[in-house]
Amino acid sequence: MKHGHPSPSTETLAALRRSTTTPATMPTVRIPTPLRKFTQGNEEVSISGANVGELLTNLEAAHPGIRERICDDKGKVRRFVNIFVGDEDIRFLKNLETEVTDNDEISIIPAIAGG
Amino acid sequence: MPVEGAPRDHFLVLGAGGLGAPALLGLLTAGARRLTIVDRDIVETSNLQRQVLFDVGDVGSAKATAAAAQLRRRTRDLEIDARVLDLDADNLGELLDEHRAEGVVLECSDSPPLKFMVNDACMARDLPAVIAGAQRWRGQALAVSRGVGACYRCIFEAPPPPGLAEPCSAVGVMGTAVGFFGHLMALHAWRLAQGDDHEVAGSLLAVDLMSLQIHTLRPCPRPACPACAGAGIDPDLDLKQACAALSR
Repeated sequence: MKHGHPSPSTETLAALRRSTTTPATMPTVRIPTPLRKFTQGNEEVSISGANVGELLTNLEAAHPGIRERICDDKGKVRRFVNIFVGDEDIRFLKNLETEVTDNDEISIIPAIAGG
Repeated sequence: MPVEGAPRDHFLVLGAGGLGAPALLGLLTAGARRLTIVDRDIVETSNLQRQVLFDVGDVGSAKATAAAAQLRRRTRDLEIDARVLDLDADNLGELLDEHRAEGVVLECSDSPPLKFMVNDACMARDLPAVIAGAQRWRGQALAVSRGVGACYRCIFEAPPPPGLAEPCSAVGVMGTAVGFFGHLMALHAWRLAQGDDHEVAGSLLAVDLMSLQIHTLRPCPRPACPACAGAGIDPDLDLKQACAALSR
């Protein structure tokens, strides 16, 4: 079941955090290493959302600070970050309007330059 | 299997640090015999933990020449051009032009803008390349060949602003991880040299070595990608930033 949480309350935030323990019912978001400090070190979280934009809103609600690392101040996905729904790059779908289903795996892949 | 007689047999390794050092060893074991090594830095004691090509006797020596000397101790029939050089748009272009017909490039720096610069320059010259990066336990590698799948700029479009690009000094680099990705780069480069572009280019391999999650993505080329159109190096790239940290 999908939920939208544009302005989550404290109770909703708590529910979102609890929701990370029930991955079978929500899309799974794979968190890249540089952003795991926002997810308490978790490499995957389960977050509700009918599309990628809604999912990012709920991700921010559950893990404050993470969205600005993914999106710029206009709300667009930063140019050096890619978001994939399964193997599909959302730029070639509907960007943030790309629908997600409960069984989808969403990957956030920023450019990694270390060497 | 040696690469002698392959369509391309000269490997240009840009950066002889965390990625470049294992990549060079991987190329050697794959059979590479013609190499160009570019690095402006000297070997420091703190490098030895992960830049396993070097030993304590190399500390204080230029990485490019020390790497060449270490490789020559292992194999006699190597042809190596070691260049202690700060790369910029001009000398990178000259270097790539020298090897346009037979080169395969391995971008092994830790500089985000340099990865884009190398991608742009290689795509404009139809030079195949491997571009990789690693931090902590995680990394990614992409082989690029113009006209075959997505290039680095297709996927990432532009380097992260300095404030959002966490340097290796802040997040750390595991020697095992850069060793893995350096050897993977050598394998990709070897396959590009064999002409296997259609099998290896355009697939972004993202690996988390802590959780052993391997993610292979094959995104579509971006229709308006300037690099794929052969536009060359983006003049907006900050070259000082690009060349500030070639291989640390």
